[in-house]
Amino acid sequence: MSEPDVATPKSATERRGHGVDRPLLRRRQEFEDALSRTASARGAEAGASLPRASLWGDAFHRFMKNKASVVAAVAFLALLAFVIIVPFVSNEDPYALDFSQAYQSPSWEHPFGTDQFGRDLLVRTALGGRVSFGIGFAATFMIMLVGIVYGATAGFFGGQVDNALMRFLDALYGLPYLPFAILVLAVFGTVNFWTMVVALTVASWFTAARVVRGQIITLKQNDYVRAAYAVGARGPRVLYRHLLINTLGLIIVFVFLELPGVILGEAFLSFLGLGINPPKASWGTLAQDGYTAYATHPYIIVIPSVCIAWLILSAFFIADGLRDALDPRTKEA
Amino acid sequence: MLAFIIRRIFWTIPVLLLVILMTFLLMKLIKGNPFQVTERPVPPAIQANLDRKFHLDQPWWAQYLYYVRDVATFNLGPSLVQRNQDVNDVVKEHLPVSIKLGVMAILFAIVLGIPLGLYAALRHNSVGDYAAMTFANIGFALPSFLVATLLIYFFALRLKDYTHLPTNGWEGPSSYVLPVIALGIYPMTYFARLVRGTVLETMQQDYIRTAKAKGLRWKVVVGKHVLRNSLIPVVTAAGPILGYLITGSFIVEFIFGIPGIGRYYVTSVTGRDYSVVMGITVLLSVIIIVANLVVDILYGYLDPRTRDERT
Amino acid sequence: MRKTKRWVWWAGASALIAITVVGSAIGATGAKTQVLTMSIGAEPPSLDPGLATDTTSSNILLNIMEPLVKLGPAPELKALPAAASSWSVKGKVVNLKLNPAVRWTNGQPVTSADYVYSWLRTISPELGADYAYQFYGIAGAEAYNGCDPKKSNCNALKNKVGIKANGKYGLTITLTSPQPWFIQQLSHHSFLPVNKAAVAKYGNKFTEPQNIVTDGPFKLSAWKHDASMTLTKNTKWRNASSVKLDRINLQIITDASTALNAFKAGNISIDTTGFNPSDIPALKKTPEWKVYKALGTYYYGFNVKNISDVNQRRAMSFAIDRKAIVKYITQAGQVPARGFTPPGIAGGPIILKNAFNPPTHQTAKAKQYMSQVKNPKKDIHLYINNSPGHINIATAVQAFWKELGLNVQIKVQEWKQYLEFLGPPPNSDVDVYRLGWIYDYPDAQNGLVLWTCGSGNNNTNWCNKKYDALIAKANNTPNANARYLLYQQAENLLSGPNGDMPLMPIYWYTYTALVSQKVKGFSINPMDQWDYSTISVS
Repeated sequence: MSEPDVATPKSATERRGHGVDRPLLRRRQEFEDALSRTASARGAEAGASLPRASLWGDAFHRFMKNKASVVAAVAFLALLAFVIIVPFVSNEDPYALDFSQAYQSPSWEHPFGTDQFGRDLLVRTALGGRVSFGIGFAATFMIMLVGIVYGATAGFFGGQVDNALMRFLDALYGLPYLPFAILVLAVFGTVNFWTMVVALTVASWFTAARVVRGQIITLKQNDYVRAAYAVGARGPRVLYRHLLINTLGLIIVFVFLELPGVILGEAFLSFLGLGINPPKASWGTLAQDGYTAYATHPYIIVIPSVCIAWLILSAFFIADGLRDALDPRTKEA
Repeated sequence: MLAFIIRRIFWTIPVLLLVILMTFLLMKLIKGNPFQVTERPVPPAIQANLDRKFHLDQPWWAQYLYYVRDVATFNLGPSLVQRNQDVNDVVKEHLPVSIKLGVMAILFAIVLGIPLGLYAALRHNSVGDYAAMTFANIGFALPSFLVATLLIYFFALRLKDYTHLPTNGWEGPSSYVLPVIALGIYPMTYFARLVRGTVLETMQQDYIRTAKAKGLRWKVVVGKHVLRNSLIPVVTAAGPILGYLITGSFIVEFIFGIPGIGRYYVTSVTGRDYSVVMGITVLLSVIIIVANLVVDILYGYLDPRTRDERT
Repeated sequence: MRKTKRWVWWAGASALIAITVVGSAIGATGAKTQVLTMSIGAEPPSLDPGLATDTTSSNILLNIMEPLVKLGPAPELKALPAAASSWSVKGKVVNLKLNPAVRWTNGQPVTSADYVYSWLRTISPELGADYAYQFYGIAGAEAYNGCDPKKSNCNALKNKVGIKANGKYGLTITLTSPQPWFIQQLSHHSFLPVNKAAVAKYGNKFTEPQNIVTDGPFKLSAWKHDASMTLTKNTKWRNASSVKLDRINLQIITDASTALNAFKAGNISIDTTGFNPSDIPALKKTPEWKVYKALGTYYYGFNVKNISDVNQRRAMSFAIDRKAIVKYITQAGQVPARGFTPPGIAGGPIILKNAFNPPTHQTAKAKQYMSQVKNPKKDIHLYINNSPGHINIATAVQAFWKELGLNVQIKVQEWKQYLEFLGPPPNSDVDVYRLGWIYDYPDAQNGLVLWTCGSGNNNTNWCNKKYDALIAKANNTPNANARYLLYQQAENLLSGPNGDMPLMPIYWYTYTALVSQKVKGFSINPMDQWDYSTISVS
């Protein structure tokens, strides 16, 4: 009641997404739709005081009924397994040079071919995937962490605090995503795993913050939270027990919406020459390597790019399925 | 509505000041001398001359104020690296290219994306639907650098005897074709999916069922009601997407050698051309802010009912 | 149905006719005018001789302007008369006689007053010219350049600069010391004049094609920034009859594969953008592939504070396979470097006599050196700047050094940050760094002076008084052969068997280009310059 913002968002922008950059665009638009549904669903659920276990069980069953999402989940796990297992079972040294084996096209011996140093690209693609996934998960985690802390602070305290924090966020939204990440990386000077994670986080935590804030405000108005207050529960406890725990389903959806965006961001930056230090590689730096040789050896750029596309699609459909699964109102298609 | 617009426009001023301040501070944090281009060291006397010339010998807040004053008078200052150019020249020369590319890409996306989405929705669950959506999903997921590289690979190397599409530069309409496809394919698939989704949703609505039941011709129903309602999200999405296309076309400009603002931005960051980086960031921010503003206005204006319904 | 088909047929036929007519019209005019289209790798940052610092700008400037002297054929690169018809050197005083036939494109003669104005403009503290140091060999120039106009009146210092007009066509220059290379140095673009009237009228826009006033064989007639430039023949140039090209289209193409595609499609006749190593093996088999010797050295410097034992530095140098690096990685005909001074420079073979870095890896010898090291540094931080070429070389070097039992970590930094990091003195985390040196003027001094104690390019922490004394002595030795022998001793200290090896050279640079066989007379000299006035197209 005291938060007119929630019932009718301040402006359409907040809902439609600024869509400034590709990952963000995708994330926000899909995400906020997902959000408004899950949020109310969870509210309804909590209000009806359904037992928790059955909620997750139901969600799992609903997810399993969505064919596209199940296929996507299998594809996602397969990619993860490929990335984890191949370096263990391969007897190729990913770092040793053998110029006599340079630029071998894909064959039985080297299913993904070799690069200019004669290094096997199968094992390098898998290792690159570990780095890409690693950066992706780490950055997603950081984004959520920063977003939850910032958003929860704004949403929980409300009033002037909320106002100030949100106006600052408005300014950040004015910064274009990739240029901003490039600037942050330039501040560090060197690119390694952690500087990349920080740059991606700094450039894209705003959505998470805004979403968490909206969620907290919605939940705050729910009867059961008010009830908790009424029986004398204290602020932080309410925040933790009732508000953050109840956004958990949302957070899981968020991971799968955020992950591809972050990995794509890393690939773009690597492609512009801002990738991690050699001889390590990520899918982005492998693609950049491939770009300089696309005319003679196109497979080098195609393979890591297809890995990225694979990841984006599977994560997207998983998120889709999860969103529907966590929202019982969605019609079953 | 008018009050809302005025308030939003007014809001952009502090937002811009903050954007400038943040960019400025970031640039100050970045190490490196804009005046040392090669490994040849800059003698102290020459460094002092250059610092004096570009006010770099002043404290940072004075530099910031100088800068804000310049921006307020639409003068973005001289470039530190391209010594015969002002940032205004850089912008005048490169921004129109990026805008043209972005506008053409979004037209491409709309003109092809909407029919594709409509087709898929009207043939729901048919082979055509699956084919269209498979295409849309692939286009949605492939990174733009792969799309651009493959276009060049095929058109420059494999098909060069049949087509004569240039794969580099920005001179004449034929050189626009490949970059527009590379940049437009993602928003195209986005629109296709969006239209398919909203059309399917609209067709479930009572009034469409009623119209159908009333015996209206299917073409009329689709043309008059379904399509019109489904275009609202497209229109509102077009603004931010255009903003993204103009500000996010780095990779495509880079690969096709297009003299747009994105490519210039990257070289300016690596060249520590403070004034150009600041100038372009401010401009890109203005574009984003305006694009968002336009969406808000359009959204509120087009269909207030939708707003309530969807919240 | 039938009707439509006919309509299409007619439209197609008339389009074909139109294309043929237009096409033949273009062909007819094309036969008379000679047009060269080529790629250049970057947008020239400035065509102001005072402000230009890069080779792209330099090359265009040297073709739209006439330098005082031109460099003759390699390796001597002797100074030949151009805008200066003759000169005389007496100790520190140089007298130049200008050729009165040299004229600005506005018809005015180029006089000594133009040179005095232009040079003092470049040296002036107000312009802030990066290359003002090119003039530091002239008496009083450094003092005037270092003057702060906010704090003192610089006019007195300006009048003391040793550049004086001596009649309308005479120029007297007083140097700080006799510098045997000074006349050759005058071929540098920094010494080109600017037109005072144009500068006064248009300010920093005087380099735009509609404003610029030049005095060379070609005129700048169009400039689309970051896209293309057009040079046209200056029919009023004093030797215009010898110039064959009527127009030169310079396409600014930064991407190697794009430029290569344009060359293969016949859209450009010369490709100087640079090449992806993966494309080179096929190109080498074509007659269009050209390799030109350069004056420049690609090297790895050691931070001698961290890798303090000279035997470890020797071991590291002997462990790398320079031949493999140039054959499989860089691929552009680079030459494995024995020493620092490139052999193509005047006196090169004498100077390099004792340089002993091996072309292929000698792992056994390297291990032998390594065994003599008491306290070897096993963890090596190798710093490079961010570019695929450097990354590839570092990747190979890392593998070579692994065989010595060294654990090498490659650290990539972005160029500007990198330069700041290297100092001098370098950040203590730097054990090995990569840099290259391209000569400004064709005398070994220009490269050897880098390794003196106070040099701003000596990022090794290595300082040897004996070395400094040799360089100082050479600066005052006008006799060429005596100077080369002094350089030889200096080079011995860098790369001889008993030298300190503060750096290990990897290869000597080359310039590469794809040149269509229709183009005659194109070549790149060791200073990365080419002369459009000698080129013709068939």
